[in-house]
Amino acid sequence: MKKENQKPVLELKDIHKSFGKNHVLKGFSLKLHEGENLVIMGKSGSGKSVMVKCIVGLIQPDSGSITIKDQNIITMGQKELDFLRTEIGYLFQGSALYDSMTVRENLEFPLRRHKDKIENFQGTDEAVKAALESVGLLHTLDLMPSELSGGMQRRVALARALILKPKIIMYDEPTTGLDPITANEIIQLMRNIQIEYNTSSLIITHDVDCARVISNRIILLVDGINYAEGTYEELSNSSDPQTRAFFKN
Amino acid sequence: MAKSTSQKIKVGIFVVVGTILLIGALYSIGKRQHIFSKTTQVYAVFGNVNGLQIGNNVRYSGINVGTVSKIEMTEVGKITIQMSVEEKTASFIKKDAIASIGSDGLVGSMVVNIIPGKNKQAVRIATGDTIQSYSKIGADDMLSTLNTTNENAALLTSDLLKITNQILEGKGTLGALINDTILAQDIRQIMIELRKTSEGTGLAVSRINRIISKINYDESAAAVILSDTVTANQIRNVFENLEKSSEDINEVTKNLNEYLTEIKSGKGALNYITQDETFVKNVDSTMLQIKEASEKLNQNMEALKHNFFFRGYFRKLERQERRAAKAK
Amino acid sequence: MSRSTSFLDRSKSFFAEIGDMTLFAGRFFRELFSTPFEFKELIRQCYNMGIRSLFLVMVTGFILGLVFTLQSRPTLADLGAEAWMPSMISISIVREIGPVIIALICAGRIGSGIGAELGSMRVTEQIDAMEVSGTNPFKYLVVTRILAVTLMLPLLVIVGDAVALIGSAIIENLKGDVSYTLYFNKIFDALSFSDLLPATVKTVFFGFAIGLVGTYKGYNCAKGTVGVGEASNSAVVYTSMLLFIIDFIAVFVSDIFFEI
Repeated sequence: MKKENQKPVLELKDIHKSFGKNHVLKGFSLKLHEGENLVIMGKSGSGKSVMVKCIVGLIQPDSGSITIKDQNIITMGQKELDFLRTEIGYLFQGSALYDSMTVRENLEFPLRRHKDKIENFQGTDEAVKAALESVGLLHTLDLMPSELSGGMQRRVALARALILKPKIIMYDEPTTGLDPITANEIIQLMRNIQIEYNTSSLIITHDVDCARVISNRIILLVDGINYAEGTYEELSNSSDPQTRAFFKN
Repeated sequence: MAKSTSQKIKVGIFVVVGTILLIGALYSIGKRQHIFSKTTQVYAVFGNVNGLQIGNNVRYSGINVGTVSKIEMTEVGKITIQMSVEEKTASFIKKDAIASIGSDGLVGSMVVNIIPGKNKQAVRIATGDTIQSYSKIGADDMLSTLNTTNENAALLTSDLLKITNQILEGKGTLGALINDTILAQDIRQIMIELRKTSEGTGLAVSRINRIISKINYDESAAAVILSDTVTANQIRNVFENLEKSSEDINEVTKNLNEYLTEIKSGKGALNYITQDETFVKNVDSTMLQIKEASEKLNQNMEALKHNFFFRGYFRKLERQERRAAKAK
Repeated sequence: MSRSTSFLDRSKSFFAEIGDMTLFAGRFFRELFSTPFEFKELIRQCYNMGIRSLFLVMVTGFILGLVFTLQSRPTLADLGAEAWMPSMISISIVREIGPVIIALICAGRIGSGIGAELGSMRVTEQIDAMEVSGTNPFKYLVVTRILAVTLMLPLLVIVGDAVALIGSAIIENLKGDVSYTLYFNKIFDALSFSDLLPATVKTVFFGFAIGLVGTYKGYNCAKGTVGVGEASNSAVVYTSMLLFIIDFIAVFVSDIFFEI
């Protein structure tokens, strides 16, 4: 309840987006508060990924406003947007590691332009090692991404998302394509990171276990709008059959 | 940043149309190379253009000065060609210039050659002028000419064959001359002997030279001759050679004598005139007859004087002579 | 890639694609002249495209020279014009055949490579990842690649031309008993500045076309592995077409300026 009064770090208002005749987002809104783990749940193709891509400016919404730290990213210039993006970590669905580079180069990549952004910067090497350490994969430093398992790739991608010490981290389906044990490891890692780096998280998933473990709050995204909102307990015991359908295993 | 589809379509159409226009413009410029330089249009009329095409080069004294821009058949057997000639060089082409069509190399394309006229005071050409044309013989004409030439050559050779046959058979004066084998042999003999002599002499002279140079080189000639047997031998050789040469020369003179006697004895063509006695006798008798004839004529004249009919005439002549003598 | 059958729709998407590519090229020039410049990546791409294509270009060039000479020899020999072999071969290779063939080879190797690489990066969200991490992927991936091909292709073509002429010299040496010295003397007699300059300028445009179409197709790749295949395939097809159009225009232009 206290969080409601705080100024949100991220706010989406009435976002519309359509691709051709396919109207994906129809007035979606959300508020993310500091230190909060917000889970967005929805069926495949309900526009979850489109929504996060709107947040980081990969996709321009047709209408609506997106505010990160009181800055509207839609009207923002490229340079400012690039700078603001260092405040956001993004874990892609398929890890999206640069497969032509080693793990070290992958982690160095975001640092190339934005070293000066990090407070008391110790040097590129130190930063890379620190980030890898926090995901427990220091030994993979000079391997190529193709030599890593799916779970390890996901963790390296997480390290890369963390390297600029962002305030907000977005997870796009963090556990998809992983076995339950590895998925659990990732979820634990996400919790640890949130404590260690003091971040706010926006998690997109259809994995109920994940949502149960990590969420402070859940928004159900159905047909491009916020269908329901509440804690895990509230929603899983909802009287609405469509809401309850999400939480049946 | 993102553009709407309709904007993209507009840009796309613009690019495509622009590219087509660019290609079209470049094509028209490239086609008319001299679009920027001023040209003069000159005409010439030909009976046959031998496959000349629009765009073929026009040459003036061997320089490319323009292109053929139009080929039109104006009448039967009259083809007018239009040539675009660069303004720069057009000023050197006078009105009496002559155009002809030739080919550029053995398998090359056709060209129009403009040859300057002889008149140096002629006015320069201007647009619309028609210059004289000269049709070189086409390939067909050339072949037919060659055909008659061949026929003539055949006739000539057959005639020549007849002549040479006659010569071989010894008919005619030329034949007689050519067929006199002995004379020819004699002359050959003379030449051979002469050559031998000169060779011998040459050898001798060179040896003498060598010895003389050696003598000059050493300090005393006499001493060398006395002491050096080789040199002595050489000198003997020289004398032997000299003897041989003189013998050779003797032989030559002997041969020449023989030849002369042969000429006297009446063999061969040359001595026909010099050695024929009957000819001389004939000439003598002819002279005698001429003498007799003139004596008889004198007698006739004397007889005429005494003739009744001509007496008056002769008297008149006598009188005139007498008058002339008195006047003196 | 909607497969609409209506002519209007198809021509619309055709023009839209050309327009989009033009805007893409415009963006390339805007980003080329704005800081920061990814110099290290440019060098890396130059190495990738230049050095790694060198062997292919040399082999192709060598065979080109060999075959071209073998095929032209009998015709010229019939005319008794074997003495023209060096000048004919060198002019046609340097002016036209060398640049076009080597550009087509590079369209196949470099163009499809770029299309596939950027396409798979797009599909696996690596390009998005770059953008999100505050690096301009257009600058990092597209500008460097287009620039690298534009710079490398003229060099590759010159090397290819040279190797082709060596191949042709070998055939002449074996078949026609022409010494290498004489052959190359004749080649350099026949070649002039007006042969080499338009051909080289042309290859700069060829390189730009290869880079532009490859990156455009890869950068705007459709989702899925099918999209990657289509990107690399259509990169080659479009590039080849574009190469001939550029060649066509280049011949006209050089005809005007150099009066072939």
